[in-house]
Amino acid sequence: MSTGDLFESSRAATSAMRAQAQRLRLISENIANADTPGYRRKTAPFEQVVEQGRPTNEVRLGPVQLSRAELDRVHAPGHPLADESGHFSGSNVDLVIEIADAREAQRSYEANLKLYEQTRQMSRSLLDLLRR
Amino acid sequence: MFDQFELMRMSKDLALHAAARQSVVAANLANADTPGYKAADLQDFAETYRSAEGVADLRRTRPDHLPGFAGEGAARRITDNAVEPSPNGNTVALETELVRSSSAKRQHDVALAVYKSSLDLLRSALGRGR
Repeated sequence: MSTGDLFESSRAATSAMRAQAQRLRLISENIANADTPGYRRKTAPFEQVVEQGRPTNEVRLGPVQLSRAELDRVHAPGHPLADESGHFSGSNVDLVIEIADAREAQRSYEANLKLYEQTRQMSRSLLDLLRR
Repeated sequence: MFDQFELMRMSKDLALHAAARQSVVAANLANADTPGYKAADLQDFAETYRSAEGVADLRRTRPDHLPGFAGEGAARRITDNAVEPSPNGNTVALETELVRSSSAKRQHDVALAVYKSSLDLLRSALGRGR
């Protein structure tokens, strides 16, 4: 049924926007902790939602993973965390990567919003057939 | 007279096809960042209609028999294989999907416009005016 398909579309777009927003939250957590000693960058994969063994159109964010990349060694002899060589472990967040990731999330979010809007217009014009 | 119904049925099928296509595009866009996801699309409506008219059409021996055309159920899903996947195996391109969705929207608009004007025509034939 046509309205069913349109409803499916808006559900898919909504789930994608939610997932992108969660991704953006992780990115901002990473950026906020860019200078926290010992902080590991958080990432989460996207995955299709499976209902009763069948993949649906919806998407969600998978479990959060901590990056295993090596922590940044910061040279600061006077720092309370510094070892004998005068270094301590910083975070492994790379701001450039985070910004690029944030841009990608934003782009996908906007595309989904656009699609949602279009789907809404389609179902509205369908309902307009009843009016008059 | 019955041409009118044929026309309305065709525009209904076009609207159904457009909605189904929109839902496929929505799935693609939602999975734009899912690793390993392959973008899909529906077969063109024109091709669907032609194939339904040809082999699979049921013969109607009486005018009040139901027609054989199955609408969007007949549209096959096709996967884009020509697109070079990104490093995580995903083949969704935002631009392509937005173009597809706007063409589905246009298709839907055309279908509804035709349907509406057929409806108007029928109404004025019944003498109720617009």
